[in-house]
Amino acid sequence: MKFARVGAAIAAAAIIVAACGGGSSGGDKTLKLGVTLPLSGGAAADGQPTLKGAQLAVDEINKKGGIGGYKLELFPLDHAVNGKYNEQQGAQDMQTFVNDPAVIGVVGPYNSAVAKVQIPIGNDAGLLQCSPANTNQSLTKPEFGGLDFRKNHPDRIAYIRVAATDDIQGPAMAVYAAKTLGLKNLLIIDDVTTFGKGVADTFQAKWEELGGTTAARVGAGADTTDFNAIITDAMTKKPDGVYYGGVVTSGAGLLLKQMRQQGLNVPFLGPDGIVNGNGQADGSLIKIAGAEAANNSYGTVAAIGDFPAKATFDAAFKEAFKADKEFNTPGAYSGPAYACATVILDSLQEFLKATPNADQAAIREGVRAWASDPAHSFETVLGTTAFDKNGDTTQPFISFYQVDPAAAGGGDWVFKEQQNFGAQ
Amino acid sequence: MTAQVNGARASTSQSGGGWRLRLSDFSDRHRSTTVIAGMALTGLLLPLVVLLPPFNGFSNQNVWLDGFTIAGIYVLLALGLNIVVGLSGLLDLGYAAFFAIGSYTFAFAASSFTGLNFPFWPMLLVGAITAAIFGILLGAPTLRLRGDYLAIVTLGFGEIVPIVILNSSKYTEGPNGIGGINPPELAGFVFPTVGNPWPFYIMMLALITICMILIYRLQDSRLGRSWMAIREDELAAAANGVNTVTTKLLAFALGASTAGLAGVFASSKLTLVSPNLFRFDVSFTVLAMVVLGGMGNIWGVAIGAFIVFLTQTVILKQLNVFFGNLGVPFLSDIDFLQYQFLLYGIALVAMMLLRPEGLFPSRRRRRELHTEEDVEFGEHGDPLGESPE
Amino acid sequence: MTTTTIPASSGFGESVRRLRIGPYLFVVALGLIVFVAIGPQQFVNALTIGAIYALIAIGYTMVYGIIELINFAHGDVFMVGAFASMFVLTSVLGQEPNSSADSAPQAVFLIVTTFLIVMPVMGLLGVAIERFAYRPLRNAPRLAPLITAIGISFILQNIIQIIFGPSPVNTPQVIPPTAKIQIGDVSIGVVNIFVISVSVGLMIVLQLFVSRTRLGRAMRSTAQDREAAQLMGVDINRTIALTFFIGSALAGAAGIVQGFYFGAITFNLGFQAGLKAFTAAVLGGIGNIAGAALGGFIIGFVEVTAAAYGLFVWGQALVFAVLIIVLVFRPSGLLGQQLGERA
Repeated sequence: MKFARVGAAIAAAAIIVAACGGGSSGGDKTLKLGVTLPLSGGAAADGQPTLKGAQLAVDEINKKGGIGGYKLELFPLDHAVNGKYNEQQGAQDMQTFVNDPAVIGVVGPYNSAVAKVQIPIGNDAGLLQCSPANTNQSLTKPEFGGLDFRKNHPDRIAYIRVAATDDIQGPAMAVYAAKTLGLKNLLIIDDVTTFGKGVADTFQAKWEELGGTTAARVGAGADTTDFNAIITDAMTKKPDGVYYGGVVTSGAGLLLKQMRQQGLNVPFLGPDGIVNGNGQADGSLIKIAGAEAANNSYGTVAAIGDFPAKATFDAAFKEAFKADKEFNTPGAYSGPAYACATVILDSLQEFLKATPNADQAAIREGVRAWASDPAHSFETVLGTTAFDKNGDTTQPFISFYQVDPAAAGGGDWVFKEQQNFGAQ
Repeated sequence: MTAQVNGARASTSQSGGGWRLRLSDFSDRHRSTTVIAGMALTGLLLPLVVLLPPFNGFSNQNVWLDGFTIAGIYVLLALGLNIVVGLSGLLDLGYAAFFAIGSYTFAFAASSFTGLNFPFWPMLLVGAITAAIFGILLGAPTLRLRGDYLAIVTLGFGEIVPIVILNSSKYTEGPNGIGGINPPELAGFVFPTVGNPWPFYIMMLALITICMILIYRLQDSRLGRSWMAIREDELAAAANGVNTVTTKLLAFALGASTAGLAGVFASSKLTLVSPNLFRFDVSFTVLAMVVLGGMGNIWGVAIGAFIVFLTQTVILKQLNVFFGNLGVPFLSDIDFLQYQFLLYGIALVAMMLLRPEGLFPSRRRRRELHTEEDVEFGEHGDPLGESPE
Repeated sequence: MTTTTIPASSGFGESVRRLRIGPYLFVVALGLIVFVAIGPQQFVNALTIGAIYALIAIGYTMVYGIIELINFAHGDVFMVGAFASMFVLTSVLGQEPNSSADSAPQAVFLIVTTFLIVMPVMGLLGVAIERFAYRPLRNAPRLAPLITAIGISFILQNIIQIIFGPSPVNTPQVIPPTAKIQIGDVSIGVVNIFVISVSVGLMIVLQLFVSRTRLGRAMRSTAQDREAAQLMGVDINRTIALTFFIGSALAGAAGIVQGFYFGAITFNLGFQAGLKAFTAAVLGGIGNIAGAALGGFIIGFVEVTAAAYGLFVWGQALVFAVLIIVLVFRPSGLLGQQLGERA
């Protein structure tokens, strides 16, 4: 017992000494870009590549000398608890950002459920938040209940997102499946998350509206590893395609692998969650399922497809993180996270050009006002990005990608075509 | 034999520990006052402590207070589970289910999902009672089960409830969770869920105080003694006239009601509930809090909950910042976020190997495991007498 | 008045002799009903996944039977076994992930070598865990080793995650997954047959070991009454270590066949698998080896039946519902010892 007491005292002293040196690091010419993502455990495969997209943007800006004399610092907080995103932790992290005056903007979150608790906090404080991945309509659109999240200040937009909402992405693939691929009877699986179920619901609605039949609609929770029973059952109904609403960490790769093992070699379709890198990228659909198995797979991405900035981004990403053991290639949401950071940093730049001597509170409000102004647009790796009066992207393009098993890097997603859904 | 033991102990009573013994004697006789005083003291000290370095370096006071309020939710949960596991010896591995039931009860009663707007304060009671009913429903079929069979059934219940919630989208919004839950209102004043953390903080202090007083009353009552009797030897207890059926059911019910209460508070503060918040790791965390805090010891469990929560939420998450500031070259390069579970697991194992009875074990427990510390019990006379702890 | 029945040994012969055919008939009947309900193709799926659960469940039940500990780390030993198997096949034996063996003899060589390396290593891992984390707590309050077990579970998971990453990792499947045997309009994968036969084979070997050998008798006697066994000259520590060795080796074997069957493994496989295996063990009567195997297959049946009727997401809930119902009618599990009230 004595040792324990002495040990505890030493530890406490060490903590005090150490932390005294810390806290608000950097001088007073540093501004912080907050990042709220699930970064540990199983969720790391989702959050880490996304984080690195934002990190790349900040590093590049700092190399160019910062903005308006300020250095930018990335401030990531992990809201995963026991390997899964946690709304409560997300709320606490958002509180931390709001109460740190040096934070002028936040990138994230990844899951729409976390956004539901973070948006009110950010809205109340007037802190800009840009999500690379939230797709649920209810977060922003008044007709789906978006005003519930900004009750206190309904006209103040502090939440913007670059991801296409489910009501655009799902139907886009439905149209492609019916018209371009000529499919008739689909097995639709979702991972019972806000994103997966949402996009599968909108997909199915449009699919059936176009006259397609649904062989079966199955929910397979994000922890599922054994899809064999589902596949065996579906095969009796002879589908000519499979749509998976969800992300790869929910089991898309395993599903595809097991499909091919049972001999179900029909096209495999999915939203942007499955377009996450080539055959050598950690955690990519192509790597897990194998390039041959991934053949005949199609995915949608809410961005311009063949855009020079995208190739530059990919190359820069790989160069910057080539020393990292894991996640050294871009994931599905690395580009969007980079775009979000670009939006926030560009807004900062524009605001400081106009008011170079603003204090931190004014900077925060200025960034928010600039970014959320529908009249402003930004050049990002996703194309020309602007936000409407609810904070949704006005980016009209959905691109379609197909897996080419013979492409470099052990098979890769190859751009096929893009369609303009802006009118929707 | 008792007299002999008494005599042996009395002879060592003169040595040291005088003020501690007098304090614990006082607290035994004036439980409620001690609880109120203790909680008030804690409630006042915590906001002051976080204004000092090093704590103010990590976050400012508002964030800390918010964190303490959330910690309070876990303290309530731990107090409740302590009734089931610590006092009554019923191994419950699915406690999060009752937390979920309390949370969703309030979500149904006061959110834009259902359009109802029941007031918060009576709902605290309603949530507790609803959870208690489910506690009885769970307890009833398990009365015949031996210890570890009970564990798996409670584990199953703890798994079934989130699964049902997740897949009944029509009634529960499924994975989206129910948002837009109303915050509490008191005489026209709406508790702020963003910004000012003080209203919720003070409410949490009050809730914990009330719960602790009630639980102490229960523990010192006949029911409490029946619980402990069942924990030690169910057969002997039955032979002594303890109605094991009602005793066990009451343990489940009262334990569950605390979780229900905590659930109502939590959903009202977060304004959102989702099945994701009630998975097995919540049940396990609360169990770890009870065990690490010292099973059976009410204050111990509360402190244990606080410490474990801070460890999980603050320390483990802030390791990167901490080591980054230390500036040790090797350590700064490690991404500690990826090592969270390793460190947490090592801490759990080490803690159990070093002090399996927990940080603040009940006196009886400590005596069972560290016989050389009998000296401390000298003053308290016959252990079968007035202080059953 | 307490009635303490002498617990039955876990031998199949003894069970039949005691006319406890009831549960077995129940399971056979259940199997037939399920076969008719879901069709032969799904039945094969159920048997395969059930076989894997059964292998893991046996380790759970053996450990519980002997020291009354719910070893939550057992599922993660299974997971480590899967990764160890992947490591052996790729780094030691030079196979490519996503590949199969080139010929039958090579397949046999790869399989035998993998089992011979991985099973003992996993056994030793189990022994080490027992020695350092559970043995010091043998006299501690019952919850302490439970917390420790979960602590070990976290540690194992995190170590594997750090080494191999959080995403699914591909592992060589040796037996080509598309190799099938056609019987009528049912195509049974060779892999499925392999998994089922390995599982059943190992279970039979274990049953013989436990009922026929001296060490097996030592295990049974320690489980029945530790002090009496000690008085009879059984080395308790060694017996417990042996139990952990065998249980963990079987979990390792389950990990190997998991890799063969699915072709991809993830670091967080252990928790869900462990939970199902624990449920299986309890369903069958915790401490009873045949019961654990039975429980594993029952869970496989329930899950696949749920999937076949469009209730996939309810599978886990249904498993627990079945468990609760069984326990209400037979509080000691299907094959569990019907003990009277004892203190």
